[in-house]
Amino acid sequence: MPREMFERELQRLQDELIALGSMVENAIIESVEILRRRDMEGARQLIAQDREINKRRFAIEEDALVLIATQQPMASDLRVIAAVLEISTELERMGDYAKGIATINLMIGEEPLIKPLIDVPRMARKARDMLHQALEAFTRGDIELARSIPPLDREVDALYDQVYRELLTYIIADPKKIEQANQLLWVAHNLERTADRVINICERVVFTVTGELAEMSDGEPGISGTN
Amino acid sequence: MKVRVAHLNFYYGDFLALSDISMEILDRQITALIGPSGCGKSTFLRCLNRMNDTIPCTCAEGQILLDGVDINTPETDVVALRQRVGMVFQRPNPFPQSIFDNVAFGPRVLGTHRGAGLADVVEQSLRGAALWTEVKDELDHDALSLSLGQQQRLCIARAIAVQPEVILMDEPCSALDPIATLEIEELMQRLKENYCIVIVTHNMQQAARVSDWTGFFWLGELVEFGATETVFTRPQHQLTEDYITGRAG
Repeated sequence: MPREMFERELQRLQDELIALGSMVENAIIESVEILRRRDMEGARQLIAQDREINKRRFAIEEDALVLIATQQPMASDLRVIAAVLEISTELERMGDYAKGIATINLMIGEEPLIKPLIDVPRMARKARDMLHQALEAFTRGDIELARSIPPLDREVDALYDQVYRELLTYIIADPKKIEQANQLLWVAHNLERTADRVINICERVVFTVTGELAEMSDGEPGISGTN
Repeated sequence: MKVRVAHLNFYYGDFLALSDISMEILDRQITALIGPSGCGKSTFLRCLNRMNDTIPCTCAEGQILLDGVDINTPETDVVALRQRVGMVFQRPNPFPQSIFDNVAFGPRVLGTHRGAGLADVVEQSLRGAALWTEVKDELDHDALSLSLGQQQRLCIARAIAVQPEVILMDEPCSALDPIATLEIEELMQRLKENYCIVIVTHNMQQAARVSDWTGFFWLGELVEFGATETVFTRPQHQLTEDYITGRAG
């Protein structure tokens, strides 16, 4: 193998990305669990943990740039590194969404939730599962798997619409609940955006394998907009 | 299109060094030929101005059309061909003469210019090779007193002094340091406004940097030929991918 050291470094870069992905997967689930438990200490910890996510993303970016500068990668090697850069940015933003949910928990404070959280944790689980599969597809270079993920976004969008309609009924019934309903809507919105960003990762998987840059979508227009 | 190569085979004795090569080389573009040592890329380059004729027991089959005219016929005037298709070699090879005489050599031999006209051609050629400002006050100095990078640009000036149409470059930077290499690369970008350039290089980053088109040779075959940006980002053949990513060759 003529480029053993480069291969090792390239693999390490991808391992770092997957490790970052795992942190973000946990953050997505934890953010909603913390909200459900009304766990203020957990929210503060999650916000602190986001700093670690940001730090790791910068470290990945730096490593990727060093590899480009020192190894002159070409073709599929270059595409892998370009994809790692792009995906690490997506993961960092997903981490921000989770942090946003933790912040909302602190903003709601001691006030009880206006409704039990049922669809919101579902959204979180689906978004997490989509992310997990997208990272799996990246690791394996599996474009079939990558292409099977965007349609799952419809389920997240449908849950978002459902949460939206349900919160509207709470607002109509009791205008005093507007503020918290609005905050919970932001929680759902953050999860919906998280799933949208997973589609961007799927696009990068296809790019890495085929060299084609093409937009993917869940195939349906919705109030949740585009990805 | 400047040069069309169709089904070219080339033999050193019984050894088939190039097999069924077809390629279209465009005017005012830079075409880079890459591949491991012994893959046939330099042999191919030398076919384009019949430099291989000087090697005994060689034989070319197929067609090489320069502006639509086959150069491999007995009627071809090889001296005129090499005036139209000039060449720059791996190591700078100035003649042990003055800078002026090096550049004036071709026009003098061809008898195209003399006197003030000759001085004009020398100046224009040195300007064309981005060397004029560095040597204009020392045209009578020995060419061998120049740095290697300057010597190579002098050789380029000597090549363009006979007003060729195609310039072949056989690893023109392999003896040069990085700065002199970049100067030659910059010069190539200027030269391509007026000439068709074909360059053989071992340096893949150089091919990626300077060329518009890239051909990848392997064991005497042209495995892939296409736009440089495609060959280096999305090669169509696994062998090309393995070579440019450093996993083969």
